[in-house]
Amino acid sequence: MSLIRTGLQRLATVFSGSNGGILSRFLTNVVPAQQQSINTQKEVIETCNRMIAQKPSRNFAIIHLLGKQWRVSDGDLLVVEGYWPPSIGDQIKLEKVLLAATKDFSLIGRPLVQPDLVTVTATVISKGLSHTRVHFKKKRRKQFMRINFQRAQQTMLRINSVEIADKINARPKNEQ
Amino acid sequence: MSNSNLFLKSGFVRAPLQNGVGRYVCQLQRIVLKFCKSHGGSRGLRDYIEQDLVDFASNNPSVVVYLKPRRHRSPVVVAEYLNGDRVWMSMHNKTHSEITKWIEVLRTQQGDVSATRLRKYQYTDYPSVQGPWTPFTYKDPKLNVAELPDPEFGANNRLPMSATEQLKIMFEKKQLEIKPKEE
Repeated sequence: MSLIRTGLQRLATVFSGSNGGILSRFLTNVVPAQQQSINTQKEVIETCNRMIAQKPSRNFAIIHLLGKQWRVSDGDLLVVEGYWPPSIGDQIKLEKVLLAATKDFSLIGRPLVQPDLVTVTATVISKGLSHTRVHFKKKRRKQFMRINFQRAQQTMLRINSVEIADKINARPKNEQ
Repeated sequence: MSNSNLFLKSGFVRAPLQNGVGRYVCQLQRIVLKFCKSHGGSRGLRDYIEQDLVDFASNNPSVVVYLKPRRHRSPVVVAEYLNGDRVWMSMHNKTHSEITKWIEVLRTQQGDVSATRLRKYQYTDYPSVQGPWTPFTYKDPKLNVAELPDPEFGANNRLPMSATEQLKIMFEKKQLEIKPKEE
């Protein structure tokens, strides 16, 4: 009962607001709204590009690495598990960037941010094995018991830099 | 057997001396290979010393390599790291290829890594750049000065559109279509 009442209340507020109701308002404003949105889009992109050039704050990015997503910023440490070829001292560029952001704005990829816009570089610091993990199985009253021990390969990464180039929405070179 | 019952040190991800920020420094400093010249248990380690040790030493000029022959004792490799860790590993009856792999592990790790259980797999000095989220993060600041209860903020507008509402909108759409013809 209360649900219906609240629903009606909402209806009343929606339809009493203007003469023609919500739909008519929507229909009359379509064309100028589109124009406006394009202008604001351009302005926003310009402001973002200016902000990137000024470098006011620290950047962070969300990268996709070996099936996992990591939020990285300058100087972070990551530990990646499983077999991974890079060896110690290697400098690598992490290219699957799902999101890049500064303090004031975020660039969200669909699913990836445009290539060459964000560069995330990392150094492989250490490759070792994890502690011994015990994998113990037991079924009650069934005379079943197994114990296994396993150690996973671990690679430690230092994130050196997360940089955003000041060319949001720029066309890629091969298209021009 | 849970982690609380294991007699195992736990810790967080750390790297000694900001390693990798400016440049990378190999953390292995010294490696001592102890073996017997005659016993069969040292066979693999002796093969390794004969075939691969010179290459290992020349490829890693920062690592000091010692050989310590000792009579009738089992083979052992001891690695010492820049952060003071010392890893002791028995190489008894291990084959040449196994020893190659284990020494590669000792070379690439940054200390006694496997002695601690990692509690987190990531470390950051800056846990939040844009500020932590609070319930008021993306809310209208009008709420700060409003006197509650307020019909505007108290309205329950989280319900999906009901059938009645849909009908009303359909009716209104019809009306809009009819109106211009009349005029």
